Amino acid sequence: MTATDATIQRSVLVAALCVAGVVVSASAAPPVGEPVNFVACPIARDTGPDTDVCFFAEYEGERYALRNPTDWGNPQLLHRVLVEARVADGAPVCGATPLDARISILPEVDAACDTIIPFDGAVRGTPGGIFNRGTAEQRAAARELARRAAAEPALSLVPVMPESSYPSPVPPFTTETLTVYYPFGSDRATDADMLELLRLTEIANAIPARVEVTGYRGASRLSNGNTLSERSEMARQRAQKIVAILHGLGVDPNQIEVDWVSTAGGNSGQDDWRSRRIELRVIPLPVND
Amino acid sequence: MIGIVKTALLLLAATLALTAVAQTSREAESWWSPGDSRVLPAVVEYDNAFGKLRVLNAAGAIRAGEHAFFAPLGENGRACVTCHQPSDAMGLSVETINRRWRETAGTDPLFAAIDGSDCPNLPQQEAASHSLLLERGLFRIPLPWPPRSSEGSVIDPEFTIEVVSDPAGCNTDPVYGLHSENPTISVYRRPRPVANLKYITELSHGVSPHEYFYPNDKSLLPKDPDTGAFVAHRLMSDGREPTLKTQAVSAAIGHLESKRPTDEQLAEIVAFESQIYAAQSFHNVAGPLTVAGTPPVLGPEALRDGAPARLGNNPINRIFGSFAMWAGSTPVEQASTAAGPPLEVQQSVARGADIFYLRRFMIRDVGDYNDKGLGNPFNRSCGSGCHNMQLIGMDLAPGYMDLGLNSLPWANNRPDLPLFKVECHADAKPQSYLGRIIYTHDPGRALITGKCIDVGATLTQQMRGLAARAPYFANGSAANLRELVDFYDRRFNIGYTEIEKQDLVNFLSTL
Ligand code: HEC
Repeated sequence: MTATDATIQRSVLVAALCVAGVVVSASAAPPVGEPVNFVACPIARDTGPDTDVCFFAEYEGERYALRNPTDWGNPQLLHRVLVEARVADGAPVCGATPLDARISILPEVDAACDTIIPFDGAVRGTPGGIFNRGTAEQRAAARELARRAAAEPALSLVPVMPESSYPSPVPPFTTETLTVYYPFGSDRATDADMLELLRLTEIANAIPARVEVTGYRGASRLSNGNTLSERSEMARQRAQKIVAILHGLGVDPNQIEVDWVSTAGGNSGQDDWRSRRIELRVIPLPVND
Repeated sequence: MIGIVKTALLLLAATLALTAVAQTSREAESWWSPGDSRVLPAVVEYDNAFGKLRVLNAAGAIRAGEHAFFAPLGENGRACVTCHQPSDAMGLSVETINRRWRETAGTDPLFAAIDGSDCPNLPQQEAASHSLLLERGLFRIPLPWPPRSSEGSVIDPEFTIEVVSDPAGCNTDPVYGLHSENPTISVYRRPRPVANLKYITELSHGVSPHEYFYPNDKSLLPKDPDTGAFVAHRLMSDGREPTLKTQAVSAAIGHLESKRPTDEQLAEIVAFESQIYAAQSFHNVAGPLTVAGTPPVLGPEALRDGAPARLGNNPINRIFGSFAMWAGSTPVEQASTAAGPPLEVQQSVARGADIFYLRRFMIRDVGDYNDKGLGNPFNRSCGSGCHNMQLIGMDLAPGYMDLGLNSLPWANNRPDLPLFKVECHADAKPQSYLGRIIYTHDPGRALITGKCIDVGATLTQQMRGLAARAPYFANGSAANLRELVDFYDRRFNIGYTEIEKQDLVNFLSTL
């Protein structure tokens, strides 16, 4: 298939979808807080120049915005998504009902999920960039730097981005826990989880301590009554990945106790994503001298 | 257009009369033969089609002769410098390869049977047996199948691989092929430039979550087998070598057919590689690139002085810094500087930089990229999308990705390359956009990890000294910068105008 064929095919799809949109917009969303769990194709929407696309999906005649917690992974065309959510309060997002959602990308390729709605002005994104972030002072400082760099071009090569960092743990240390939740079928944690793991690792390396890691896998009950279960190895895979990171960061294997629960949790239709996780505890040991 | 060409010719003529600051090597002297007892000066310039490339030997002049990078360490008479020539930004252009073939009637050790021919079993005196090298600048890279871990244990791959088409005959050869006594897959790749390497070996700064992690799957980076320190993992198109030292050992044994170099030789190679910089220093039309008033990133001195492994996708640190001084010249100024370099080309370069930095397009279906969490599609520019390391434009991440160069349906038509059919096991995670059955000319990273999701993924390259080392991409698919731009335009349906394409080419030719 040539690029042009693909474009034509996509615009035909888009046209079909717009017609459908007129019909579905009449239905009302379920009440705020109500669980909605479904599998569907994500639909991407171009939100204008200098912005990232947004995603939504259609389920039972309603459009729902597909937005994950930071770094949980954005939806992908050519894949269906598993949406485990509750209806959220607030203005429409991406032209759709907002959700408090955990969105997982299903692994198999699905060629049917291939719609990008061209920018039509209906939903406009905000251009990103570091100048929109931070406090008023930080933004002013960034603008000042940009002004100086314009007059003194060599400054454009002097790095301004800060190093990645996490707070160093401060003694005295007590038992600390970390729970990491995962997308369906995935062992990919978020940046925030890994920074917290780095901090806990520092404790485990600083004092005599035991580290306990337990992996879990889950099943997800959809609103239509169907269930999606993770592969049986997921609990072990998650636990072992965390243990490998602990080893790599210098934690003595003898300090670590690893376990996994192979029966799937969840399957209640209420926040089933919580069943897919690892739990980690760093327990300071008494020093006998 | 005609105007530009005319001015280019005029300027070319004019520059011949100019005395360059650095020593300029004439073509005849530009080739470094192994063991040449010449001096590589601290600064040297070489002509190329776009102007001049400057090589900065930051630690000072060295006598090549016995130096481990320049000496024939093994049996086939090659040295490292054979494939990493200073005139070619420490890579090797297909033009240089062809000149060498003509000058030596194909007897230069460059064409050694082991990997300088399509397959060692072919009649070596015939040019046709070296067609991939002569036409696309590709060396044979034989890799064991199934893959071996860095400790040497066999990795159980997630897929089966089958040879669908084998024009060179090496993958089906009873001695060298997939079903030989030592099952081997031969892929064909371009040399990567051995310059500006401090950018490539330094751990990333300012990346999330932290410099010890791969941002894509949040596992830890590999470690240096000697020191146990984390390594940045940006070497080789498939990342199979963690450090310059392990790389030098494999290169000596593989390309030079040598025994393991001594520790002193290895130290000498690594020290040399860590201090050599290369970048374009003169542009035939835009003029000298490193004088006052030119973009600060140009020339190798900026690379020597720059901060390595920084993220260059914010409004102050755009990947290659500011080109604004070339953007603003009005036609009036142009008229008043009629004797100087044509401002229209400088303006075109500045526009090209802006397109590279800012012009967004839908980046989609790139395996090991859109599936990292970014989403599919991801609406970004060349610079903010992938080529985000300040001063060299490599992906800081480290970024392996299947841009579409290796696998169908996106790959440029390449009947000259072997074609493999990869079939992923039912319990493996498939390649994110090509699925479970993939036709590929080079499985890339997957030949090292054995993972389905990695099929076709290769590491981005640095973008300096491009003018000196065509063709481009790991498999040499783009014969020139225009073909490189055309590939992106087609692959991502960008819709660059003719002028935008020209601007990008002009921009890239100054790096
Ligand atoms: C026959 C040609 C040839 C010879 C000789 C050769 N190389 Fe290379 N070199 C290559 C090719 C091809 C690659 C890219 C391989 C790949 O990506 O899989 C490469 C890649 C490299 C890289 C990686 C650069 C990067 O940025 O990824 C380094 C470093 C390097 N070579 C050093 C050496 C050293 C040291 C020697 C001598 C011991 C040497 N090479 C000899 C062809 C050669």
